[in-house]
Amino acid sequence: MSQIELQNSDLRSKLLDWNPQLFREIKGKFKTTNVVIAAAVSVIVQFIAVISLLGKLPDFESTDSMLYGRYGMGIIFRVGNTGETYYTQNSVGDWIINWQLLWLDLFIVLSFIATTSLLVVGTYMLIADMMQEQNCGTLNFIRQTPQSAHNILLGKALGVPILLYVSILLLFPLHLVSGIEAQVPLMLILGFDLAVVASCALFYSAALLWGLTNFKLSGFKPWFASGLVGLFLFVVGVVLFDGSHIYLSQLSSWLLLFNPNFVLSYIIDAAHLPDDKYHFMAIADLAELKFYGQTLWSDAKTGIGFILANFILWSYWCWSILQRRFHNPESTLLGKIQSYWITGWFTVLALGFTIQSYFAIDPPLLSEQNSIFDSSSLAANFFTLNFSLLILGLILIAGLSPHRQALHDWARYRHQTTSNKVWQELIWGENSPATVAIAINMMAAVIFIIPSIFLLLDPQERYVAWGFWLIAGTITLYAAIAQSILLLKTNKRGVWSVIVLGSMMLVPPVGLSLAEIAPKALPVAWLASILPAVAIEHATLPTLIFTVVGQWLGIALIGFQTTRKLQRAGASETKMLFERNRAVGNP
Amino acid sequence: MDRELAIATYGLTKRFPGQIAVNDVELRIQAGEVYGLIGSNGAGKTTLIRMLAMAEVPTKGEIYLNGDRLLRDDSNPLLKQRIGYLPDNFSLYEDLTVWDYLDYFARLYHLKQPFRRDRLQEVLELVRLESKRRVAIAQLSRGMKQRLSLARTIIHQPIILLLDEPLSGLDPQARQQFCQIIKVLQEAGMTILISSHVLSDLAELCTSVGIMELGFLIESTSLPELYRRLSRQQITLNTLGKIEILQEKLSQNALVKTWEIIPQSNRFKVEFVGEESDCAELLRSLIHANIPLTEFHCIQEDLESIFLKLGHQSG
Repeated sequence: MSQIELQNSDLRSKLLDWNPQLFREIKGKFKTTNVVIAAAVSVIVQFIAVISLLGKLPDFESTDSMLYGRYGMGIIFRVGNTGETYYTQNSVGDWIINWQLLWLDLFIVLSFIATTSLLVVGTYMLIADMMQEQNCGTLNFIRQTPQSAHNILLGKALGVPILLYVSILLLFPLHLVSGIEAQVPLMLILGFDLAVVASCALFYSAALLWGLTNFKLSGFKPWFASGLVGLFLFVVGVVLFDGSHIYLSQLSSWLLLFNPNFVLSYIIDAAHLPDDKYHFMAIADLAELKFYGQTLWSDAKTGIGFILANFILWSYWCWSILQRRFHNPESTLLGKIQSYWITGWFTVLALGFTIQSYFAIDPPLLSEQNSIFDSSSLAANFFTLNFSLLILGLILIAGLSPHRQALHDWARYRHQTTSNKVWQELIWGENSPATVAIAINMMAAVIFIIPSIFLLLDPQERYVAWGFWLIAGTITLYAAIAQSILLLKTNKRGVWSVIVLGSMMLVPPVGLSLAEIAPKALPVAWLASILPAVAIEHATLPTLIFTVVGQWLGIALIGFQTTRKLQRAGASETKMLFERNRAVGNP
Repeated sequence: MDRELAIATYGLTKRFPGQIAVNDVELRIQAGEVYGLIGSNGAGKTTLIRMLAMAEVPTKGEIYLNGDRLLRDDSNPLLKQRIGYLPDNFSLYEDLTVWDYLDYFARLYHLKQPFRRDRLQEVLELVRLESKRRVAIAQLSRGMKQRLSLARTIIHQPIILLLDEPLSGLDPQARQQFCQIIKVLQEAGMTILISSHVLSDLAELCTSVGIMELGFLIESTSLPELYRRLSRQQITLNTLGKIEILQEKLSQNALVKTWEIIPQSNRFKVEFVGEESDCAELLRSLIHANIPLTEFHCIQEDLESIFLKLGHQSG
């Protein structure tokens, strides 16, 4: 006994030595009362889940001639109905209950509880903790130690939600037993658990990153993020549970892969229960979801593999941004080179989910009618891709644009701190204006996307290509405007840039809609809005060219203004420096 | 790079919106020195220390510790091991006990058992918190928290200590205790950079001082050299005899610059520019002249007077 205790103590000591941050979190949070509460919550939740499912069983003592219910094994078919199950008795008079289904229900319920609490509550805990560390200034002490950012942040991710992990670990045995009793292969259960762990890696990295950002939302910051995660899980959960009605051959299906509950499709399928028991997204439907025409999600192994790959890829990039951010809380969220990589990965993956429908049909079988149908649905997918590029562009503006002080420092000291030429600085330098880098990001994405439009779409649908040129121009114009606002003297320049860009995005389409001016009636007005794609169809070629040229002229003008402002700022700083030198008697 | 220099900065600059907090600072601190940084509020002391401690990113310039370039990333764990930083607004984890807090930082600095346990014990004894080891930090007094912060700063045996206003807000007894601890650390061979408004304490602790003004380091020298250049020597004299005789004798000494007679007394305040031996010579000449002296007291202008005399400005 004492030997085991000694070994346990050695193991514990090694674990705590391995990551001091984990040690700190455990010491701070792992108090007896807290652990008892966490364990009690877990037990109560499991008890409620079991009781509520058992409560669905009918009263077998009842005198009703037929006992209907979900867990009966007999089926009655009525007109207009798919079939209703009722409870039957065996030869010795015992009621026959579909225990496998009941266990599977329990497994699904526990899975949803675990994923929701891990992702929503865990995210909240991590952001709140990071904010507290930042506000108290304690994060600086940790930064000054020889520990790597990787170690500290890993310790945070493992340690801050430690009580949540205790609750979930206590839930694990019942989860495992229910899966096995539902005749789900063990490897599949572990595959699901792996997907949950991978999703935690992504969501927690994103939470730590959000906690380290300078967005001034004070106490609302953790609520906002965990609320968003909750909403996402809810919406995707609804989609998954009503999977049979979803058209998967569209870009937005990519979002499903960010919810680990997606793996439940394979688990339900592996239980081999009658189809009508679950309306959950079926494996057969998943064959519809393709990536560059490849069916990757109709088989559990490949499907889970690609889900994990998706989580790992984006966790890696979150982690890479985090490492940069941890040491340089004052610099921009993203480095320019990082932004090129992220845009690259995003474009490659998004295009893969965009052009899935065209490849859905074997080319020799493609009739003319099918071709037209596929081309127009593909064109619709490209509209979604266009919109996704807009979102990506806005994220890049927020992540890449340096503020006034950083820009002034760059303008004044870049000759002393780096030997790069101006164009090199604008492409990959730190704290230089972001407009050029954002333009490169957008243009690279558009150049990668455009050939697919010309290769896959019918000639009459190819006008969507204009949407990408226009959105690249719009985002670059927004970046130039945001950069110009971030140079303002006011302390609220961040807020002002959000207000100005928000107004530019929302006011024109809302105004045009209220005035009942359809894109067809006045395409040029819509082309200049955030939704240029809706008007391209109705615009003439000269109008389109005029709009693109107008956008780039605007960008050049604002860029010129920003350069002048920076030069003036540099001159006034020099003047201030001379005055100070005189004041302290320096030559 | 000169490895004799514990700290060297080259063109170190930090700008904040609308102001330059630290401007082209060329700081040189020899190993083993206790360097006092003085300056009025807003002169840039805290920003300079924060940059040396990697708590602030310099706008421009380089920092070298013992000849190695200090960078703000994961690339220099050994260099980080050399620095101990105590900020003015120290923050502690109130949910931990004193022992767990120090244990946490000892682990962050890779201290292994059994050395870690011994070091924790040693540091707790040094800061006189042995009896509080199992007490939650939330229950400590301000002075104790300050000492605990110092313990955290030195737990990993740094060779460079950066202390920003460590004496502020402490009562006289706590201040004295703190000064004693710093002297022990100085004797242990640490290089200490300390900023404080309590200049009398700095004068007692420091071997060198730097004076900051409007972000510039306008003076950086050893304390004796500073006194030699900027401190006036005053001699207080009291005679039972006639004032005129003493005045005549003083006027004959070339090292006596000015004197003033304290009203309604026979006391003189003399500004004297000579060395200690010149002082002794003056005393001998006055006694030979049979002047009945009851007081002959040499005092040097203190650091505070020098600082005030410089007519400092804040940023």
